Amino acid sequence: MFRLLVEPFRDAYMQRALVEILVLSALAGVVSVYVLLRRLAFVGDALTHTIFPGIAIAFVAGHSLFLGALFAGLASAVLLTAATRIRGIDHDAALGVLVGAFFSLGVVIVSTQSSYTADLTALLFGLIHTVATTEIIETTAIAVGVLVVLRLTHKELVLRAFDPVAAEAMGYRTLLLDLVVNGLVALVVVAGVRAVGTVLVIALLVVPGAIARLVSERIAPMIVVAVGAAGLCGYLGLAASYEASLNHNVRLGSGATVVVALTFAFVLTAAFSTLVRRRHRAALGPALPA
Amino acid sequence: MRILDQLGSPLIRRALLEAVLVGSLCGAVGVHVLLRRLPFFTLALSHATFPGVVLAGILGVSVYLGGAVAALGLVLAVAIIGSTRRLEASTATGVALAGAFAIGVLLQSAQSSATRNLARFLVGDILTVNADDLAMTALFGLVVVAALAVFHKELVFSAFDVVGARAAGYSSSRLEVLVLALVALTVVTSIRAVGTILSVALLVTPALAARQWTSSIGRMMVLGAAFGAAAGVAGIAASAQWDVAGGSAIALAATGLLAVTVAIQQARTLRKACISRSVGGRDR
Repeated sequence: MFRLLVEPFRDAYMQRALVEILVLSALAGVVSVYVLLRRLAFVGDALTHTIFPGIAIAFVAGHSLFLGALFAGLASAVLLTAATRIRGIDHDAALGVLVGAFFSLGVVIVSTQSSYTADLTALLFGLIHTVATTEIIETTAIAVGVLVVLRLTHKELVLRAFDPVAAEAMGYRTLLLDLVVNGLVALVVVAGVRAVGTVLVIALLVVPGAIARLVSERIAPMIVVAVGAAGLCGYLGLAASYEASLNHNVRLGSGATVVVALTFAFVLTAAFSTLVRRRHRAALGPALPA
Repeated sequence: MRILDQLGSPLIRRALLEAVLVGSLCGAVGVHVLLRRLPFFTLALSHATFPGVVLAGILGVSVYLGGAVAALGLVLAVAIIGSTRRLEASTATGVALAGAFAIGVLLQSAQSSATRNLARFLVGDILTVNADDLAMTALFGLVVVAALAVFHKELVFSAFDVVGARAAGYSSSRLEVLVLALVALTVVTSIRAVGTILSVALLVTPALAARQWTSSIGRMMVLGAAFGAAAGVAGIAASAQWDVAGGSAIALAATGLLAVTVAIQQARTLRKACISRSVGGRDR
């Protein structure tokens, strides 16, 4: 057991990967609760795709991928917020159009390069084992910034999530609040997408919140559970991927292994909570007729 | 136009035919995707077919079969997670999407030296379409269009008025499953042409453009199919002209069509508003 859980993290590159995953889990775990409250799973997934052309342009032009992603992320957060406010066009349809348009723009840009399929794969799936210390610092800076903004706007965001009409009547600008949330989600995607890839980022934005919702109905405990679940699964996923690759000769992508661990944790939690509630109901006796 | 010089090549002709078939199919089915607000579900489906496609590649069976089985699995997973009641539909879809996509990547990474195929499934590779693929696309398209035509009245009724449809004796859940299955079949059909991720672009954009011109569902489907086919041809032409990825060029062409449509409609409404204002002024 000790060998499985501790030994993988002796090498410096594995330690860096672990730190990156843990910082990202803390960040995404908190944000995932807001994503759940505001039903932003689609927006989160859309952002992972709309950031792609920014990365592609930076890649082709030889600029910093981080800056490219940051710029594209904030621009697409503004665009997505605006798109969900167009009258006569359904939110979901507007998001679908933007995803298709932005993502294909990215693919077209990358496809002008000769080695395009290999580059595309690297951009889409990230390489956590090559995470450098500067990238960890960038991720941490983003995490601190996002958490500070969330702390400051928490009350307004929760009000907007539960009662948009009241929020508007009380004089809060819901458009501005939406912009803040979408911008924060975009920042999480920017922080994660380059190191761990699109697949992992969208999972980190949705699954921890869903697990937490199964366990609790109150926001503070939900945040704790979400962060804990994301961190634990990140740790176990990395260890499992290392063990499989080194000692069993099965190469498991580390990001994908973390997501599978998260999904597994979700299934376990769902099964467990269903069981508990069924027993609870049985103890209470038959339900009263409605 | 380089495409005109290349028309002699069977490669380009097959690609054009596939683009027209897939574009028109997606354009027509897309109207139902919009009616039932399924764009996110479609995106999830398109991601979820990915593990099936990879597995089919490993086992050496048809990619269509693998994709279809995986899509069916996603429909079931969303239904099961959604039935826990504590999680609403978009979260359930998100969880299922992330899990399915990760399994696909995991399968892929366990294989050796297959990264080329990975990108190919994600963004499509329309220039390598062969006669078998074309036959498959035509067959699937025919089945989907036939089903849409036969159940047209019921599908439209239940999309607009679930309660009414149920009261009239239609099983709305069965109709919903039918639509989901048809969308899944369409996504699987378009994998070769535009890849798993971009099928959502073809399923949403042409239909949304068509919706700006008419409010009759039947006409919308015909117009959506026409827009989809036009985007397919324009995309292949652009791909030949500038040597860029074909599937993405098709998606961008569809977006361009939508942008032009929205611009024309906006100009029309503005003009109408101006005219009615000046008429109103004269009356006073």
